[in-house]
Amino acid sequence: MTVYILRTLLKMVLTLFVIITLVFFATRLTGSPLETFLGEGLTAEDRALLIEYFGLNGSIWEQYLRYLRGVVEGNFGLSFLERRPVAEIVAERVWPSLQLLLASLALTLCVAIPLGVLAAIYRANWIGSAIMALAFVGYAVPNFVIAIFMVLILAFSWNLLPVVGNATWAHFIMPTLAMSGVLIAALTRFTRNAMLDVLGQDFMRTARAKGLPETVVILKHGLRNAGVTVLSVLGLQIAGMAAAGNVVVEAIFSWPGIGELLVSAAITRDYPVLQFGVISVAMAVVVVNALTDIAYAYADPRIRLARG
Amino acid sequence: MKTFLMTTAATLVAGAAMAQSITVGAANVSDYLDPGRDHSNVGSQFYYNAFDTLIGRDHSKLEPEWVPALATEWMLVDDTTMELKLREGVTFHNGEDMTADDVVFSLNRMYQATFPPYVVRSRDRLGNFVEAVKIDDYTVQIKVERPEPLWETLISLQQVMIIPEDYTKALSGDPEVAEDGDYEAFSLAPVGTGPYAISEFVPGQKVVYSRFDDFWGDLAPLETATVIRIPETASRITALKTGEADIVTNIAPDQLDLINADPNLKTEGSATALFHVMIMNVNHPNLQDPKIRQAMSYAIDRDLLNEALWLGKAVVPSTHTMEEMGALHMPELTTFEYNPEMARQLLAESSYNGEEIVFDAFPVYYTNGVLAAQAIMEMWAEVGINGKLDVQDGWTGGDPEMMARSWSNPMYFADPFGSFGVMWAPNGPSEGEGRFNTDEEYAAIWERFRFSTDVEARKAAYAELMDRIKQNPPVLPLYRPFESWGMQTSITWKPQPGHIPYVLDFRAGAIALGDS
Repeated sequence: MTVYILRTLLKMVLTLFVIITLVFFATRLTGSPLETFLGEGLTAEDRALLIEYFGLNGSIWEQYLRYLRGVVEGNFGLSFLERRPVAEIVAERVWPSLQLLLASLALTLCVAIPLGVLAAIYRANWIGSAIMALAFVGYAVPNFVIAIFMVLILAFSWNLLPVVGNATWAHFIMPTLAMSGVLIAALTRFTRNAMLDVLGQDFMRTARAKGLPETVVILKHGLRNAGVTVLSVLGLQIAGMAAAGNVVVEAIFSWPGIGELLVSAAITRDYPVLQFGVISVAMAVVVVNALTDIAYAYADPRIRLARG
Repeated sequence: MKTFLMTTAATLVAGAAMAQSITVGAANVSDYLDPGRDHSNVGSQFYYNAFDTLIGRDHSKLEPEWVPALATEWMLVDDTTMELKLREGVTFHNGEDMTADDVVFSLNRMYQATFPPYVVRSRDRLGNFVEAVKIDDYTVQIKVERPEPLWETLISLQQVMIIPEDYTKALSGDPEVAEDGDYEAFSLAPVGTGPYAISEFVPGQKVVYSRFDDFWGDLAPLETATVIRIPETASRITALKTGEADIVTNIAPDQLDLINADPNLKTEGSATALFHVMIMNVNHPNLQDPKIRQAMSYAIDRDLLNEALWLGKAVVPSTHTMEEMGALHMPELTTFEYNPEMARQLLAESSYNGEEIVFDAFPVYYTNGVLAAQAIMEMWAEVGINGKLDVQDGWTGGDPEMMARSWSNPMYFADPFGSFGVMWAPNGPSEGEGRFNTDEEYAAIWERFRFSTDVEARKAAYAELMDRIKQNPPVLPLYRPFESWGMQTSITWKPQPGHIPYVLDFRAGAIALGDS
């Protein structure tokens, strides 16, 4: 088991190294940061001075090695603009994003699972068809379209909800709905399919034959078994969402989250912030994956043996 | 008794006014706040409320009219020395008294800059300034290298606003020494002498101004003003509708009707003291013949661009000039004009053989930038120029392959030197990037323009510079864009004509709130 954990950790470190390298070179493809920092027009002399000041001197390989050395020492650099550690800047933005993610997750679970179960039970009549039709529409409409429509109707026309920031619970309503749309649609479909698989199983017939009430049969015997599949799918969806899905929603609602930070950093070419932001998101996904792997191994010796 | 009642009423009214606060939704909020280091359009919004210069200006007037600020008197001691008497009893937001030491520190951090961002800012506009010297606690002298025709202008720049010495030096490292780290820390915790203290600053997200009760002048009309970042235009306008914002910035011309249609909302605007320009690379092998670049300019119908893209609200200049420049405003010059016939003729006489001329444009940075570029491609085609638009995010101004591109040329201060001058000086940024050449003759004219103490001599020299630009054009100013702000009708605010672009001025007299 120890070998297995070590192996997983090694894999994680290698993945991070690849990500750091990719991110470092990719950010430098977006153009020079100097003009965006200091307005228009720099003489050659000034340019040289600032290149030195921002640590952009030397070849790209020298810069890369300097960066790697810093990373090994746990130093991801200073923001070009704010001149404070990027870790501090990114850390301030993690919680708002996480809050939004958790709110969306809660909403998704509360809505998608009952809908999926209903769609499975009533698969043969209009209720099931209506739910699935809705799910298809929800899956096809991008979250920013939902967001803009809500802003137009609920805020611009009816003035019911605030649109800027995350100050009160009312501020959460529109961004959470916008973020959850696609998640709910996807999870409803998965729940329905997982339930359909389970509903045909022998143990379900046995449960009914024992004379258990239908609700108990569906919830206790059906959903519990379908749940395993549903949750693993949900994990993947969330990882995707954490990585990219909330960038647009955060911009529309001026949400002070990490997605919004990454967009501004990309626009101003604040390389250190952009690099650390992307690395943090990637790191979160890698760590979750590694933990999942380890957890699976604990739960299922066959995995441990097969891989170990 | 009557007097008592009136006084009470006046106090109550004043009290009500004093209790007022607003929220501003800005498209962008600075990532740092240091007036010395900054000359960005985003940053310009923020300094005037919290910082003062030695010499002030009546910003309600277009023509420069200098007024005492942190200095109460100033006079020339000799050709290259100005002596200034400082206002006594001025307090910084952190409670320190302002003395000559702070002034000398603030000025010399720019005049004798060592911190790289200051060096850059200082070189392009303060190059003639040698040092500031303390005479006594409330007297300083400023020394320049050569007689300076623009004393007041260059002492009232944002970059030489006054900051506290002890506070700044103590921010990092040795509290007795000014280090780079001090200036970096200052830009996250800025302190000035203005009518509002910056009581909260979240870089890139929020600036909160609070009335500073120990301000030396008229007290601020607002108790607090909070500027928050709302990057999306649609969200800014919605925030105005929902009342989450009282004022919003950067409203595009086509959105004005949407705001004005609501009886509770209105818009204010002005032609910004900034030109959107087209720059041309005089050293590109295909563009070395000046006639080609002249044709590229003559082909562009800037009035049509104004009508179509700015509803006629932008200002199309005949030369590189702005009315803010006072005596140096020279609309009588015709350096740039639309003349498609001339363009065709020049092309025919030139070495041009239909080579593709690439025009680079930023995708979103300039309002209407891409639309203008697309229209320019059509206008070029009309006269026989084979243009190709390349929309890309990167700055290509220093690339030898660059042929033509969009740029902007702000007015950093109200003088031709503060607009054309900063960008097109000998060895300035444009020449430094290798797309503009100057020679001894140009440099000689430049010297007369920059340093003649006689206004007529400066005007004559500027006319000569403009003629050089006309004969061998590296730039075409397209127009001064029209910038708009949306706000609740209960607010009386508009951009003051005496400011540089984008300043959010909430000082006494500049903003008033109704009884909402």
